[in-house]
Amino acid sequence: MAHTAEIDTKEAWSGGQSPFRVSYGKMFMWFFLVSDALTFGGLLISYGFIRHKYAEVWPKAENVFTHFPFVEQHLPLAYVGLMTFILIMSSVTMVLAVEAGKRMDKRGVIVWMFWTIVGGAAFVGSQAWEWFHFIVGTEEGALRNVWDMAQGKYVQQTWHGANMVVNEYGVPQFANYFFFITGFHGTHVFSGVVINFIIFLNVIKGIYHKRGHYEMVEKVGLYWHFVDLVWVFVFTFFYLL
Amino acid sequence: MEFHDDYPSYETMYNHDEAYGKKARRTLWNVFWIMLAITVFELIIGFMAPSKGWSGTLGLKVLFIGLTIVKAAAIVWWFMHLGHEVKFFKYVILLPYAIFMLYTIFIILTEGTYSGGSGRFAPTDPIFINQQKELAKKHHGGGGHATEEAHGAEKEHSGH
Repeated sequence: MAHTAEIDTKEAWSGGQSPFRVSYGKMFMWFFLVSDALTFGGLLISYGFIRHKYAEVWPKAENVFTHFPFVEQHLPLAYVGLMTFILIMSSVTMVLAVEAGKRMDKRGVIVWMFWTIVGGAAFVGSQAWEWFHFIVGTEEGALRNVWDMAQGKYVQQTWHGANMVVNEYGVPQFANYFFFITGFHGTHVFSGVVINFIIFLNVIKGIYHKRGHYEMVEKVGLYWHFVDLVWVFVFTFFYLL
Repeated sequence: MEFHDDYPSYETMYNHDEAYGKKARRTLWNVFWIMLAITVFELIIGFMAPSKGWSGTLGLKVLFIGLTIVKAAAIVWWFMHLGHEVKFFKYVILLPYAIFMLYTIFIILTEGTYSGGSGRFAPTDPIFINQQKELAKKHHGGGGHATEEAHGAEKEHSGH
């Protein structure tokens, strides 16, 4: 490609050049993503640590995430599989929008960005549904020692659902990490949808067409792919392992 | 374009023609199908794992983490087009991250031993141990069929 044309290495670093061959905005989107990836990496490593500490009492995903909308049966993993499919699909539509932008195909960018936003919104909705079922819990529930404020002692009772202190699935840390990591990821997806929508409006207005390039679409695309990237890891560590 | 300086504008240099776009699109769709195949494969393995007794084995962990890294690499390389950037930029992005992550994993594996497994400082509530034992018993042997039976029995029980 044109931008990777070779130049003399000495000349590249002697100023007045851009040795990385990327624009300022894109480079700093990458730097931001590296820092964000460090945050997620730290969270997932700490999750692995706590999970190892409570290895024998850590709940298994197939016993926790068993619901699927409109289906009475227990279908472990099916729903999260669907969510993963939605997010990978929206990642593809995003990259196709970027590709259309490089051909200055405004209509193509609009169509693919539209589907990206739809996919992102569907994912956020799915996550809300998942959280709802996680918080409400099952009918059976499980025995827990719960602190009773009035009596000032722990009382054994059947507990349904989950909060930050007690949950029916296992040790409290399980729900804490689930809420924190999927919540942090969900926040990223939500902000990604909002940012995509703003850029989508700008594309419709023709701002980038006038500018002569659709690099802004590529920059938000980078962020969107990053969200997908994080989900790939969350999916493995929370649902598969 | 209002700029008329000596700096190359990398934004517009990115634009490509229809022929190149066609090739690029084919690559992207291929990457997508491979990623989807990997995900479906993971789900099938994950679905079979409890009944086959694979849950929690080292082989399964290595397989899942390995496939995850393959998928992550595909996203970074093709979807985020890091593969198309100049060599130096790839290193600037990937190396610091890899070094920090490997260091953090290393330090938690070596210095993290103070936790000494569950029950060293605050003993784990036996309620949790019993729950996991019960669930394991319910899923032991017979696979998915037995699970369904157990669920049925549970419903009957709660109906009393």
